[in-house]
Amino acid sequence: MMLKYVNTGIVFQEIPDEVTLAINISGCPCHCPGCHSHYLWEDIGLPLNTDAIDAFVNQYGRNITCIAFMGGDGDPKGVDMLAQYIHEEHPQYKVAWYSGRLRITSAVNKSDFDYIKIGPYIKHLGPLKQPTTNQRLYRQNDTGEFEDITSRFWRK
Amino acid sequence: MEIKNFTITKRDGTKDQFSLDKIMNAIVKAFESVSEPADLGIVSKILNHLDMHDDITVEEIQNQVEEALMREGYYNVAKSFILYRQLHSEDRDTLEKMMFLSEYTESVNAATGSKYDANANVEHKNIATLIGELPKSNFIRLNRRLLTDRIKKMYGKPLADEYIDKLTHHFIYKNDETSLANYCASITMYPWLINGTTEIGGNSTAPTNLKSFAGGFVNMVFMVSSMLSGACATPEFLMYMNYFIGKEYGLDYWKHPEQQADLSLKKRTIDKVITDYFEQIVYTLNQPTGARNYQAVFWNVAYYDKYYFQSIFGEFYFPDGSQPDWEGLSWLQKRFMKWFNKERTKTMLTFPVETMALLVDENGECKDKEWGDFTAEMYSEGHSFFTYMSDNADSLSSCCRLRNEITDNGFSYTLGAGGVSTGSKSVLTINLNRCIQYAVNHKIDYLEYLSGIIDLCHKVQLAYNENLKELQSRGMLPLFDAGYINIGRQYLTIGINGLVEAAEFMGLKITPNDDYLHFVQGILGLIEKYNKQYRTKDVMFNCEMIPAENVGVKHAKWDREDGYFVPRDCYNSYFYVVEDDSLTIIDKFKLHGAPYIEHLTGGSALHMNLEEHLSKEQYLQLLKVAAKEGCNYFTFNIPNTVCNECGHIDKRYLHECPHCHSTNVDYMTRIIGYLKRVSNFSQARQEEASRRYYAHAN
Repeated sequence: MMLKYVNTGIVFQEIPDEVTLAINISGCPCHCPGCHSHYLWEDIGLPLNTDAIDAFVNQYGRNITCIAFMGGDGDPKGVDMLAQYIHEEHPQYKVAWYSGRLRITSAVNKSDFDYIKIGPYIKHLGPLKQPTTNQRLYRQNDTGEFEDITSRFWRK
Repeated sequence: MEIKNFTITKRDGTKDQFSLDKIMNAIVKAFESVSEPADLGIVSKILNHLDMHDDITVEEIQNQVEEALMREGYYNVAKSFILYRQLHSEDRDTLEKMMFLSEYTESVNAATGSKYDANANVEHKNIATLIGELPKSNFIRLNRRLLTDRIKKMYGKPLADEYIDKLTHHFIYKNDETSLANYCASITMYPWLINGTTEIGGNSTAPTNLKSFAGGFVNMVFMVSSMLSGACATPEFLMYMNYFIGKEYGLDYWKHPEQQADLSLKKRTIDKVITDYFEQIVYTLNQPTGARNYQAVFWNVAYYDKYYFQSIFGEFYFPDGSQPDWEGLSWLQKRFMKWFNKERTKTMLTFPVETMALLVDENGECKDKEWGDFTAEMYSEGHSFFTYMSDNADSLSSCCRLRNEITDNGFSYTLGAGGVSTGSKSVLTINLNRCIQYAVNHKIDYLEYLSGIIDLCHKVQLAYNENLKELQSRGMLPLFDAGYINIGRQYLTIGINGLVEAAEFMGLKITPNDDYLHFVQGILGLIEKYNKQYRTKDVMFNCEMIPAENVGVKHAKWDREDGYFVPRDCYNSYFYVVEDDSLTIIDKFKLHGAPYIEHLTGGSALHMNLEEHLSKEQYLQLLKVAAKEGCNYFTFNIPNTVCNECGHIDKRYLHECPHCHSTNVDYMTRIIGYLKRVSNFSQARQEEASRRYYAHAN
């Protein structure tokens, strides 16, 4: 299945300290009960490929610091390929992935991502903002290790 | 006179069946009042002169009766009739005022109750605000008369008539017509530093120490503000304060603020002494003011990075021959911002409106990294203030809206620093939505039609300027004479309103696109062309997108009533549609970027509405975005939550009080330049605030 995206947005809360272009990818296979983005379950939208990435880069230039793939669990290798492409062709950006899976498949090279969020949305445990959440956001640090920064969402 | 069934228009605008009896009665009464006999023959002779038509107004009928009486030679009766009419019209005036009085006292808040000049800057309505409201209609009449008389003298009666016609048909709007004073000013405090307030009618001598500075400053700002109808900016406030603190505790006081400063039992530290003065000044200036209809003074201050400071005050000398000390000022600016931000969680403090002036390099990086970082830090801590960015210290915005070109960075021993003095003498606003729709509907090229309107505005402004000069020549404007305001550095401002709405009427998409940009540049470029054409060595014009706190509401209402296309109840004060949630933050910066604001010489502040506070790193990136897009003037606006039950103030946008968990909460937001409780805005403006799109942070 080809990756497709429905819309994009400039977001601030998803990835701490970054100004992020979030790309909402459709065809999500996770189907979490209580999902906030039901419309992303369908296989709809425009093709998400390197041309689409170039168009975003052209549009936003240096105004953004990070590109985030929201979903794409139907084709994890496709997401990885795009992450790799961004790091090679547009090294000024960080790359993030919001996955609904419990773990990242071994077919994916995690080091292609600067941020990875994992975990399905489980209603009674709540979203990232709740300290009870099952979801985790990791940041790759200078030594290439992934550091759990979920607690950044709990400040205040 | 032919008697048939037709209607007349009564004074309140309603229609009524025409009644011959009523007219006959009035005529008979007029005769009786001077004991002249009036038989049916005489009355019908007079009636014969009357020329009635459908929808004739009561005033017109009475005019005709007057003339008819005179034509028939009943001069005594005519005189009595005229006097009778005058008496009634005076009665009606009083009656109207009484009606207003009762309506005002029953209205929800002061801004909604205000008939002529709704302003949110009044917290409560009471007898003091009522006293301010009552004479407003008289001021409007007086101002129009003063202006049209002058226009007649300078350009002839047709232009004066044209002005009134365009004004009453809402093609243009005269701002602040309810006040006699010139509009707003960024003042130099140097004359006060040298002479105290005696020259402007006060009784205090020049400040000599920190205590007399703090007390005198407050009095001076009150005095200056009472002679202005709008804002008063004191861009030198902290610089002078730093000078006096230095005199008291040594120039390096900021290196040891924890040192004990007084011998009282309280053993106050230097820091405590300083913040106590902050408290005294800020709280006093936020008080409702008697001379300003119970509004607080619209006080503005400025902060500078090192480069701005050097360019504006590099040549400045204090009376003791010393120069301003950057290191001390830098510390004091930060201290004030931190203190003010914290104080705002205790009390709702509207003033001062603060503007940070930052110089950026060609890559959009702040030249003074320390101050760029600090700006982002303060935003991330929830402080609400404006930022003015420029790649050249040739312009500055020290007021909540007004931007000025600095032509004179010099220093004079009588006037102080040249760069801080600016302001707007008067604002005359063009209702672009109506003008453009009118032109298009009448198959006129809209730019050609606008040219006529813009030209008219410039002439009217020049007439205003002559009136102001006359007031000055009679000694009525001591702020100018004493040098607080430099009349030559004051602008005559052409305001614009309804730009986005006009573009929507033209079928344009309000996004960063070439067609919309072309439309914006066409209009603003035209205004700038006239601004330059009318500029002389004595007068300067600028163009400003006015904040339209109440004008935007009025224009929308009037235009809708007259059948124009009106897409919202309050015209925008931005280049984008405020409730459009498809625009990203970056789009909004683009729409207030260099290509759009290029000709907007008087400035327009982008109010970037966010639902949640961002991190320091994110604000730093947005400062870069602003610099890169050339958006030179902006603020971030996150509604603060005020609990109506327990009074707790939270910097976040919440639906429930985190302290007492009440859901009876109100919000403080920056709808115009000022941070105020949403419930203090006029009804129409409150609706705008609730519709306003706060960019979702997730």
